[in-house]
This record gives sequence, structure tokens and C-alpha cells, in this order.
Amino acid sequence: MVCFFCALVAVAVCVGTELHWRSLGYEPGIIDSKLLWAEQRDQVDARDSRTPLVILGASRIEFSIDMDILEAVLPRYRPVMLAINGHYPLAVLRDLAEDEDFNGVVLCDIDARGLSAHYFDMQQPYVDYHRKQWTPSWRVHRRALDLWQSTAVIANPDFGLLPTLLRWSGGRANPWKSHIRFHRDRSADIDFQRVDTAAATQAFVDGFKRRLQSDPPPSPEQWLAGLAEVGNWVEQIKRRGGEVIFYDTPTSGKLREYADEAFPPSLYWERLSATIHAPALRYTEISALEDIPLADGSHLDFRNKSEYTHALVDALADRGWVQR
Amino acid sequence: MQFDSFTFLAFFALVLAGYNALRDWGARKWLLLVASYVFYSAWNPPFLLLLLGSTTLDWLVARRIDAAEDPRRRKLWVIATLLINLGVLGYFKYSQFLLDNFAAALASAGINYAPPAFDIVLPIGISFYTFHSLSYCIDIYRRRFKPTASWRDYALYVGFFPQLVAGPITRFTQMREQIETPRSTTSAGLGMGLALLILGLFEKIVLADSVFAPIANAYFDAPGTADSAAAWTGVLAFSGQIFCDFAGYSSCALGSALALGFVLPTNFRNPYAAVGFSDFWRRWHISLSSWLRDYLYISLGGNRGGEWRTLRNLMLTMLIGGLWHGAAWTFVIWGGLHGFYLVLERTVRAHLWPARWNNAVLRFAYAIITLLGVCTAWAWFRATDVSQGWQIMLSLFDLHAAATGIGQLGPSQLTVLVTFSLLVLVHALFRNSGPIPWFSRLPAPLLGLLLGLMTAMIVLSPGDNHAFIYFQF
Repeated sequence: MVCFFCALVAVAVCVGTELHWRSLGYEPGIIDSKLLWAEQRDQVDARDSRTPLVILGASRIEFSIDMDILEAVLPRYRPVMLAINGHYPLAVLRDLAEDEDFNGVVLCDIDARGLSAHYFDMQQPYVDYHRKQWTPSWRVHRRALDLWQSTAVIANPDFGLLPTLLRWSGGRANPWKSHIRFHRDRSADIDFQRVDTAAATQAFVDGFKRRLQSDPPPSPEQWLAGLAEVGNWVEQIKRRGGEVIFYDTPTSGKLREYADEAFPPSLYWERLSATIHAPALRYTEISALEDIPLADGSHLDFRNKSEYTHALVDALADRGWVQR
Repeated sequence: MQFDSFTFLAFFALVLAGYNALRDWGARKWLLLVASYVFYSAWNPPFLLLLLGSTTLDWLVARRIDAAEDPRRRKLWVIATLLINLGVLGYFKYSQFLLDNFAAALASAGINYAPPAFDIVLPIGISFYTFHSLSYCIDIYRRRFKPTASWRDYALYVGFFPQLVAGPITRFTQMREQIETPRSTTSAGLGMGLALLILGLFEKIVLADSVFAPIANAYFDAPGTADSAAAWTGVLAFSGQIFCDFAGYSSCALGSALALGFVLPTNFRNPYAAVGFSDFWRRWHISLSSWLRDYLYISLGGNRGGEWRTLRNLMLTMLIGGLWHGAAWTFVIWGGLHGFYLVLERTVRAHLWPARWNNAVLRFAYAIITLLGVCTAWAWFRATDVSQGWQIMLSLFDLHAAATGIGQLGPSQLTVLVTFSLLVLVHALFRNSGPIPWFSRLPAPLLGLLLGLMTAMIVLSPGDNHAFIYFQF
């Protein structure tokens, strides 16, 4: 009797809530987290005949690479997405350098600003989580959570009981219908048809300007001095037979203007390969990449991911940095 | 694995099914032991070896203690097990702390010494299973009972998964009969066990993690930027969080054990309705406070030897109890503060508190004083270091700023204050009761409705899983 009433009430409340959110047009989706990242970090060490191709960086590469296409056109490699939205990646590069078993290829999406020593530790909390808290138990939990998040809107914390009550009591609007959709492999799609791209572009440009004001660029000499440490990490990976490819992903419009003004390529990016003995690729060197539209000046629509992935692989393969 | 994970739900369902599918009691116990070790290994598999080693050693030593006739030999064996157990605990938990303080002492003498960073990973639950083992060996030494001849039974007593990593710290006398007598899942036990599991998950996921933790974390991450009202809100949020987190864990432990036919001792009895600090310690983490009383306070002499010795023993017990929680001076201060409360209370009761003062108004006032004293002490428990602790104390006692700042609290902070007040009210209403008798009295549809709503709220409170706070101890 108790079980019956308990199940009845729980199911009725949860299903009713789920239907309410769905009636408002919300959809379930995977939510990126440290657990999901840690699950992919394990993939770096997975034992198969393929070489791990680890993708580091932030949103530009995380939302641009089609992982299925990458795996299909580079069958010798096992692509792993470790880029993290909004975080420069050098802490994870350091983690891979310290991993004695790692001898794969790293494709590191980074711009001159991200190579400033100030940003080296941005992704460190993810590394710490993987090293200190990630356990077999959480691995199983995360697998089940993937399934739950793919099935139910109410698995998203934004639709949780307390956030909803606080929104209602404060007269605030329902959650934003996200235009970003994550996959289990942590790559993601942006659907720019669902957003005001002009406003998104302006927000990006304004945010970038604000960050430049609050955190002005280091002098080229300071910047170069900080790279010595990065060079050591690259050497550690190369000594084990691995490789690191630095890749400055495309930007356009005002964002590109401001970035080039703050970090003139001749003073920053172009001096990278003189300091670090690793291949470096800038989007301006590949016309096929430059031709792909960037809806907000920084990211591409998911409909262009296939074209982008092919163009990037062509560029890497043509230079002999990866083998088809 | 954590109780609030999908992994545990799958694990528990499998264990429950397997346990009831087996007929032989010995086989069932082996299943529970293997399941307990799987449960433990899900965190850090290599540390299972430490648990196995510690279990086996203490089982053997206890038999030696019992077999020895010569009192000096018995004493040697018990000292040996104390040294080994506390040595292992000390290495994992306190070596860095001791080294850092040694370096600080040298620095104050003008000698520069940089201690190596050990970066030791603390085996989960080590403080708890060490206390299980110690109580067993000390009780054998005190000839309270004969040791068990079965390694499996002893290993199950130490390693039984519901209580393995964060208690309750059971005594062998509480578990022996349950382990030696065949038992199985009953419909009443399963129903009450699942009800306790739901209550525990509600306390942990809905209250501790969703309501209290965000405000507590935000405050303790940057206490310098908050005013007095925000400081009180942060401290009360942590007070709510630590109770709901730990009592939630204990409810889950009791519930999962009950579903398997085992009864674990109650670990919390509405502590925020305590009238006085000694009353608080009879209600908070009861299995630890009774352990400290029986094996530390009494070993130090207890209340034998006069008033001053009694007060000294009280203070020492609380200081060591504080240090048991973690290798930091903030925990020592927390323990010291509680020691001070207990000493003061005992002195006032003995000399200044006439019996006729024991009326309802005074009791209510003293309950409020107790609650405020306990919550203030929690600030030290949660502070990252001593300077942060002082900073918080100064904020808390700026009462003018507290009064003016209340109007500026946001909806999340107000939610914390309302929820904490409700929590205290519930403790006061059910002061001398617990969830089991209360659940038993409710009509089935009403209990079903209540548990159904709790389950729905659990499902509707997704978010980051927070490790149970007491796992770090």
C-alpha cells in the first residue's frame, strides 16, 4: 500500500513536471561536466591499436569538430575531445605531458592570448577532479546519467525544484532554450538559427573588449618567457614519441580585428614556432577554413561542421602532421 | 560508492536480490562481505588491501589478547594493536600536518626547513574502520566478550557496507548476534529500510546539496566580502548542510542495513533541539561520542579523581575528538570550543544552577543558546584556516550590521533561513522520537504520499553530486 502510493505520487509529480517543460518546448540533452570530461580523459589511455588524437582547447574547437567524421577520415587515430568551453587548455597539456603513458597526438586549439602564463591553470580543476575524485563508481554513475539526461528534461539542474521556485518567486523568466547540444563524446553542436546572431556577435565582441581591459596583454617578451614552460611539456610528449600541434582557430569580423590589435601576430603567434619546437597552424594559412562562415565571429553553425572538419584534416594531412 | 548515485541503486538492487536468493546463512554472509569489498573498492581499489590487512591483523591480535593469561602480555598485545592502528591512521591523516607544524616551530626559532609535500591520499573510511577495530580489541582486552573464531564474521562486522565509510561506529556487541544468527529481508524491514533510504537521500540531495551547500560554499569561499547578515546565513547554511549531509548518510546506512535484516544504532536524534551541550552530544553523531566516552574519556580517568580531573578529561576528549575529524587547527579549535562549552556547562550546573531554574522558559532560552553555540562552532569546522575562522567570528558578532543586513539578503539566502528554521522546528517537535516510530504511526496512504513527494523532490533536484562531508574524515 505504502509502496503503491509512494510510486504513484512520485511518478505523477515527475511525469507531470516533465510534460510541463516539454509543452513549453524544452528538450532533454547531455550536460557537460567534470564527470563527462573525466570519462573522456580515460579514453586517452584506452588500449587499442589506434593512436590517441587528443583535442584540447575551448569552445571554438569543441563546437566545430565532427567527431564521427574525424574518426572516419583518420582511421589510425582515436579522437578524444578534452576541450572545455570557456577555458584555455594548457593545464591539460601539462597533465598529458606528466602522463608517462601518453604518446599520442595533441591538437591544441589556442590563440596568442591563451598562451599567456596567466591562463595556464584554467582547466586544472578538471585535471584535479580526474586525478583525485574520479572513481570506478562515478564512471558507472556517469554512464547512467548520460542515459537519464538524454531522456528527461527534468535531469537538467536548470529545471530543478529549487531553481524553479526561486525563478517563480522572483518573477524571473524560464530558462534560456539552449542552442547548444552536447554529445556523449563532449563535442557539441550550435544551432545559430535559434539565436539572434547579431546580438550574439555583439555580446562576444563586448565580452572580449572587457576582458582585454581587465586583463591587458602581456608584453611580447613576457609572453615569450612564459612559453618556455610550455616548450618543456611539448618536449616531454615528443620524447615519448607523441606530437603536439598548436592550432589557432578561425575568428572573423570585429573579434578578429580586436584580437589582432591586442596580440599582433608578428609579435606573438608567429614567434611561437621559434620558441617551441612543435607544428603551429593559424587559420589564415588555410583558405578553406577562412571561407566557412562564423555566425558570431568565433563559432560555426553545426551545419558547417562537416566541411570544417574535412578542411582541417586536409590541412593537417597535407603538412604531414597526421596520416590518413 | 555514494548512496546518492545510480551506481549504488544498481549495486543495492543486485545485493538485495542475491542475498535473498541464497538460502545458506554462511553463503549470505560471504555475499555481503564480497559486496562490501566491491562497495569499498569502487573508490580506490588498492586501499582494499589496507582494509583487508587491518581487519586480519586485528582479528589475529584480538585472539592473542584473549588467549594470553599473563596481564603484562595482554597489555603488550593491546598496546601493539593501538600503535599499529593509530600509526597507520596517523601516517595517512596526520603526517603532513605534523611535518608542517614542525617546520612552523623551527621557523619561529629562526630555522628554515621546507617539509616535503607528501600528497598522501587518505583511504576513505579509515577513521571509521580503525575505531571499529580498536573498540573490538579493547573490549576483548577488558574481557567484555570472547573474540569470534570466524574471520569472515569479524570482517563483516568491520566492513559491512552500509556503515563502512562513515558509520555509525558500531560495537561488536551490537552486531555479533545479528551476524551469527541467520536473518533475511522481511517485508516490514524492507519497507522501513526503503523509507529510511528515501529520507536519507532527501536530506542529502534536496536539503544539504540543493538548499544549503550553494550558500554555505559561496560564503566560505569568500567570507571577507560578506557582511554580518550574510555571515550568519552562511554559517547557518553550513549548520544545516552538515546535519542533513551526515544524518542523511546515516539514514541511508540504517535503511539499507534494515532492508537486509540488520539493525544499526541510531546516530542522530534531533540534535538541533538539544537543551545544553552535553545533551547535544547525546544527540549528534551518537556512535562517535559514545565511542570517545567509553574508550577515551573513561581511559583518561573519566569523572574519577575529582572535579578538575573530570573537566580536564572532558576538554582532552573534545580536543582529540576535534583532531579525529581532520588534521587542521580549525578542527582542534572546534573541539576545544565544545570542550569549553561542556566544562562551563558542568561547572555552572554543579555550582550555580539551582534546580528550581529548570522551568520551560529557561529550558527554551538554553536551547537557543545551545543552538547558537553549536552553529558558531561549526564556523571553525568549515573554515579553511585559523585566520578565516577569526574573520568569520568578527563578522558574526557585528550584531548591528547583522540587523541592518537582513533586508538585503537574496531569495536563496532567505530560503536557507526558512529551511533551517523548519529543520530546527522539526527537531523540536520530534525531540524525543525518531523517524522509525513516526513512520510506523502514519496511515499508509499518508506515509506513501509523504515518501512519494520526497522521492519526486529527490528526482527534481539534479545537480553536481557532492561527496558526503564525513567521507574526508
